[in-house]
Amino acid sequence: MKLLRVRFENFRLLRDLELDFRTTQQKRLVVIRAANESGKTTILHGLRWALYGAAALPGLSKAFRLHPIDWDGPSPVPIAVTIDFEVTRHRTSQGRRIDTHKRYQLVRTATEDVGTLQRAPSTVKLFEVTSSGSKGVPYPEAIIKEELPPELREVFFTDGDRALSFIEADVALSTKRQRVEKAIRSLLGLGILESAVGHVKKARAAANREAKNINPTGDLGQVATQLEQLVASREDLEEKLEDAKSQFVAFDESLTEVGRKISLALAEGDKDELRRELTQVKDTIASLKADGRKAKTGHSTLFRSQAVATGLLTTRISGAYQLLEQLRDRGKIPNTTIPVLEDRLATGTCICGETLDTSVPAGAARHENITKLIEKSRHADEIQSIITELYYKAVVPSDDDARRGKEWLARYANVAGNRDRIDTGRQEAGKRLRALEARLDALPDTDIQGLRETQRQHKAQRDRFLERRAVIETKLEGVQDDCERFERKRKRLLRTEEKGARVRAQLAVTQDVAQVLETAERRIKTEELRKVSELMNTLFLEMIGADSHEATDEPTQQQRSIIRRAEINETFDILVYGPGQKQLNPDQDLNGASRRALTLAFILALTKVSEVEAPNVIDTPLGMTSGFVKRSMLRTVATVSSQLILFLTHDEIAGCEDILDEIASTVVTLTNPAHYPRMLVHPPNVTVRKILRCGCDHRNSCRTCSRRRDPEDLEGANLNEEGV
Amino acid sequence: MEPTHNPFQAIDISVPAADHETYTRYCHRGTVARADDSPFPRMIDLWFFAICVAVRHGLKPQEVTGKTTKIIDGSIFVGDPWRIHTLLLIAIAETNDVSIVSEPTKIMNLANRLAAAGLPRVVDMLNEGSAEAIWNLSDSTRLLLQQSDEALS
Repeated sequence: MKLLRVRFENFRLLRDLELDFRTTQQKRLVVIRAANESGKTTILHGLRWALYGAAALPGLSKAFRLHPIDWDGPSPVPIAVTIDFEVTRHRTSQGRRIDTHKRYQLVRTATEDVGTLQRAPSTVKLFEVTSSGSKGVPYPEAIIKEELPPELREVFFTDGDRALSFIEADVALSTKRQRVEKAIRSLLGLGILESAVGHVKKARAAANREAKNINPTGDLGQVATQLEQLVASREDLEEKLEDAKSQFVAFDESLTEVGRKISLALAEGDKDELRRELTQVKDTIASLKADGRKAKTGHSTLFRSQAVATGLLTTRISGAYQLLEQLRDRGKIPNTTIPVLEDRLATGTCICGETLDTSVPAGAARHENITKLIEKSRHADEIQSIITELYYKAVVPSDDDARRGKEWLARYANVAGNRDRIDTGRQEAGKRLRALEARLDALPDTDIQGLRETQRQHKAQRDRFLERRAVIETKLEGVQDDCERFERKRKRLLRTEEKGARVRAQLAVTQDVAQVLETAERRIKTEELRKVSELMNTLFLEMIGADSHEATDEPTQQQRSIIRRAEINETFDILVYGPGQKQLNPDQDLNGASRRALTLAFILALTKVSEVEAPNVIDTPLGMTSGFVKRSMLRTVATVSSQLILFLTHDEIAGCEDILDEIASTVVTLTNPAHYPRMLVHPPNVTVRKILRCGCDHRNSCRTCSRRRDPEDLEGANLNEEGV
Repeated sequence: MEPTHNPFQAIDISVPAADHETYTRYCHRGTVARADDSPFPRMIDLWFFAICVAVRHGLKPQEVTGKTTKIIDGSIFVGDPWRIHTLLLIAIAETNDVSIVSEPTKIMNLANRLAAAGLPRVVDMLNEGSAEAIWNLSDSTRLLLQQSDEALS
């Protein structure tokens, strides 16, 4: 980065000041010649404020007044600092370095109340300036931070006195060390690096803790295997389920189709049912036939029955009965008494009712008489015997009904009715049989039974597949639950594993990064610090004209001969060594010029080694120097810095004019008109207090900047042309 | 009770040879299917029924001059002892003589002749009507039973 131009408006004494900082590759020095109280430090503050805001202001930034102390204009006071700068980017193409330049304009504005010093937060805007105009750039702080790190503002914008703070004795060693360390850390990026190292270490520690908390086990493999098996099982079950479903549907459809066929067939008549009915009818007919045979037998029996004989004969043989009765009446059928008598003897009572008990005399007498009568009857003739039997055994119908054959007629009516019933039944059954046969003949040759069998089989199959489906679904549900459980487990383990992997990766990365950073830090601390130290030593010795070798006996160079070497050790102490590696106290053993040279050498070395291309704006760097050291310092500083802007007093310039002729690209002079008439020869041509710039270089002066060399000059000084 | 004495035990039951065909024709003899056309179970049944019809009609016993055919002997009456008594009573009634009971051969002879006399009437009964023989016979028997003795005389 190079500063090109800066313009101040109402910034303390700098009411309206513009400075041109453009340099060339050969002449990289810009000199602002200004006496004390002529705005040098104010310019430094203005630059810092413009670039870094209120935080860069000295002391309590809020209390630091920005507007001119003698402001008599309207309040609040508008304050602005505008900086034009150029950023150069480098790239390599086909082995050649190609630079790309971008110009920017930074404008920071603020308003400040004159009475209360209340200041609204400043506004900063950045514009990229091109040949076609300018366009705003968002986040200007980012550009500034990249090009001029805020933590290095003390390095980029410093003054000779402030630079001494790195070695001054009035502060503790730790403070100096801290200042040096801070500068080095900032410029070399050590702070960032250490911050990064710290961050990475924290991350590594966190990763370590996480890694400790992670308990990677072999369960994941086992769970994965089990899950794989479960998934395979699930897929198998799903396949089987689909099969069962499709089979169920197939058999269900088949069932429907078979049912439809059966319904159609049944709509025309169930052949089997008809056949069953036919069989029943046939059985009925057979039964009726049997009944018919029985009835016929019974019917036939009617004509061999005693009833028909009785009916037909009773009236015709009644004479025979009468003859028998007559014979009986005549006692010709005595035999008839034998059974009766025998019966009486058996009962012990006579027909007349008297007793036949042999224990009593009368009964015994009667018993004896009856016994004798029985004996007599047994000797009757054959005719009597036959007639007697006939008389007692022949059934003689005694009533008119029997005579008229009513028994036979009744039996006949029963038989006839039965036979009629049977015949009617047979006729009806026959008709039914013929009707059934006719219907059967008319039926299509549909195998309803076969269809029913098919229906039954298909229903059984369908139900089997339904059952199988239910079983599979149950199993599947279980497997699905297991799958989900194992998936959750696997997910959990995977998360743990992933977390473990991530943590391990983080750990590895943090370890690697930490290693890299630590290596870088070590390298910077050692190598880069050594480079800074060596360059500082070189610049320092060059500035003070010291010989690092021991052999020097010139008394005029006693101081220089004392200093043999300067270095920055690992604890960031700036050390100076004299002869015999004797350590010198920079604050006590070095004169003012050497101390200033040492601190400038340190700042320049730091800037150089950091390879940051930034301006070095140094206020009064050559104070307390003179002669060789001053000239040498000026040359050295101008040689090392990429853009050097020095605020020099007339005294600092004195004796170095030839060098400035050689290396300065621009020299301007600032004048505080308030110095008139004590220090300025001519009265200013302005009525307000403000720093005036004129184009006078280190060799010239004008009415504006001509100064008195000695207060005594004031006695005889001519007043300005206006007579003031 | 003592068993009925069968005086016809060894006596043949004969029919005129000419009637034998009729006996065969109207006796189914166990072939029940034929009962409608041959209503009588056995020849003895037709023989006895013919006697009853002849007696009912008051027919005179027919003299049997020609050849006869034995259909069975009197032992058949063991199964139907009432027929023994009936034959005796018929003989008594026909002869108006009780002593005939001691002459079973005469009684059987009378019975055979009565059977021969009654058989044509039975055949008529079998054939009177448009139905099967058994029904014709049944109807004729019913009518015969319902007719008064006077009407028959």
